[in-house]
Amino acid sequence: MSSKGIDRRLFLKSAAASAAAIIGTNLAANSASAQTTKPGAEAKDTELSGERVIGRPGSDFMVDVIKSTGIEYVAANPGSSFRSLHESIVNYGGNRKPEFLTCTHEEVSVAIAHGYAKAAGKPIGILAHSTVGLQHAVMAVYNAWCDRVPVIMFAGNSLDADKRRPGVEWYHCVQDPAALLRDFIKWDDQPASLQHFAESVVRSYKLATMPPCGPVLITADTELQEEPVHEAGNLRIPKLTFSIPPQGDSSALREVAKMLVAAERPLIIADRAARSQEGVTRLVEVAEALNAPVIDVGSRMNFPTTHYLCQTQNRGALVREADLVLLLEVADPWGQFNSVGDPYKEYRRLAKPDVKVIHISLGESLTKSNYQDMQRYMPVDLAISGDVEATLPALTEAVRSATGSGRRAALADRTEKLRAQYRQTRERTSALASYGWDARPVTTARLAAELWNAIKNEKWCLTATDGVTWARRLWPATQYYNFLGHAGGAGVGYTASAAVGAALANRDKGIVTVTFQPDGDLLYAPGVLWTAAHHKIPILMLMHNNRAYHQEVMHLQRMAGLHNRRMDTAYVGTSIDKPNVDFAKLAQSMGVWAEGPITDPAAIGRSLSRAIAVVKRGEPALIDVVTQGR
Amino acid sequence: MRELLLVALLVFTGSAAFAQEQAPAGSPERGYQAYMKFQCYTCHGTVGQGGERNVGPKLVPDPIPYVGFEVEMRTPSRDMPAYRKPFVSDQDLADMYAYLLSIKPGPAAKDITLLNF
Repeated sequence: MSSKGIDRRLFLKSAAASAAAIIGTNLAANSASAQTTKPGAEAKDTELSGERVIGRPGSDFMVDVIKSTGIEYVAANPGSSFRSLHESIVNYGGNRKPEFLTCTHEEVSVAIAHGYAKAAGKPIGILAHSTVGLQHAVMAVYNAWCDRVPVIMFAGNSLDADKRRPGVEWYHCVQDPAALLRDFIKWDDQPASLQHFAESVVRSYKLATMPPCGPVLITADTELQEEPVHEAGNLRIPKLTFSIPPQGDSSALREVAKMLVAAERPLIIADRAARSQEGVTRLVEVAEALNAPVIDVGSRMNFPTTHYLCQTQNRGALVREADLVLLLEVADPWGQFNSVGDPYKEYRRLAKPDVKVIHISLGESLTKSNYQDMQRYMPVDLAISGDVEATLPALTEAVRSATGSGRRAALADRTEKLRAQYRQTRERTSALASYGWDARPVTTARLAAELWNAIKNEKWCLTATDGVTWARRLWPATQYYNFLGHAGGAGVGYTASAAVGAALANRDKGIVTVTFQPDGDLLYAPGVLWTAAHHKIPILMLMHNNRAYHQEVMHLQRMAGLHNRRMDTAYVGTSIDKPNVDFAKLAQSMGVWAEGPITDPAAIGRSLSRAIAVVKRGEPALIDVVTQGR
Repeated sequence: MRELLLVALLVFTGSAAFAQEQAPAGSPERGYQAYMKFQCYTCHGTVGQGGERNVGPKLVPDPIPYVGFEVEMRTPSRDMPAYRKPFVSDQDLADMYAYLLSIKPGPAAKDITLLNF
């Protein structure tokens, strides 16, 4: 590599930092060499008053294994198939790292883990009660899969039929626990020994956190959990070593750089590109080197909304005009250039027919057959397999090298127009937000403006950005932790539980965690409110309570129009009223501070001031606001 | 082509005054009832302010001319549902349009402190 190229040692250091961003503090926690089980931990199995006592059950060793990975919490609804592991976590492990988070539904457990991982940059565990627990968990697992987020799942199961009690225990046993969700997890195993368990847990953690990340499942057999540890001295917990995320091919990047520099209207579209603040910084560097506009699709916080190159809201025009588009880990590349109308399914091409497309992604390395989260096949001119955050420094360097002084001046000439576009977009968005300002029900724009006013002097995190989009359009966001994207698989029920998980991760960082909470979403698994209260997790939920599934209203209207039938019945099956749900009372009943329902927009600000005070003293708060449909 | 005609129509006639002059007589009160009954507010908001994610463009201020409004209601060009005559009468349309015209503008963005981001 030339002296102007990237210093290999610096690059490796930076790549290691990227890896650390995924795995967080666990690098330090796992820097020790392979561990054996605790000295003196081999408590003897004894006879006590004629009863057998197991002083060192296998589940104690399982706790040692889990602790070795640095997993800080396990979220779970209790279940007998992992009763020994549960008891070991509490009494042997001291209920600390991992700490048991009591959940009221496995969908809550997984979504908490999903939100936690996005906020913390490292996974936690969940425990599922064999067949029924996994069945409850499945939709949330699919969300985590689609969102490329690591979740370490453990499921109890009794494989040995000879040891099962008759009746319920048979309903709760399965030959192949992972069969239910193998289509949308990265890896699974059903260990047959404690040593096997140790190796599989460490392997699963490594695989789950290696980009592209994803959920994994390890079965904890009840016999292994409950029977004594034999030959404990021979058990070893392997060292956990993380793989450095792969950088895209250097020669290909040089080619990309030439194409980007030569393009007259280059455009960058980023989706799950950044994994940390470093990723945001690196994307800014390459965008500035090219003076190219950036569209942030929003599955992660990729680009500061305060930067004039952030042109997300001008997507349509920019895609139409672009002569070269650089896609950065975009989940739906085809959808960036094409659309299919509804209900008539008319195809529309948005981009020029000869637009050049480059995609840097690891997405194809995690493509499976059955579930169609891979999206429509998108032909591109250059596909580079690589982790975006790890690849960007080399790309930026290549762009700088490829930019001669004449070209540099030409790139700089774009600035004035882009700044003007940015300014005009902000003004247009503010104007749109002002319409219906004092309306009742409250507009979502007013809701977003009121919430911003309440948190603008705090370090803040908005855990879901897809339901109420004004925040991404209006709020000044510069930090990776500001926006945590969306569910991934658009499975309803994610928002509340993921927000609680994110708030748990942010609890000790001085970050105020907030969410716009849809009513339909909260009704899926409202028990998460109790979990937040019980574990003192400071989340502020500002209800977007529109008392209906309004997206479905629109679909019914479309179908009625298509079928030439009456249009005034779309409320049937889509409304959530008669009676209205009193979300404040619901929250209060579970120990959560709450106010509402608020119908007067002028009352929201005062309520938010009280709620923020509650959150800042470490407790959850909910404000129910009756809102417009969308 | 139909969309081009609509755009041209908007360019040449897109003022509230013109729109009002061209609209058939309607009742804002009945129009509000129809607007709610047919759940237009789901996407466009109860005061026509528009909705999230561009699913429902704003209808006010400055509604499109009545002729464009009628075309969009009966034979929408994009994702909007078609509101057909047997179920939504011409008078319903006129009333809803009258309702949109009756909506008074709120404060301007520059005068709203909370929108000074």
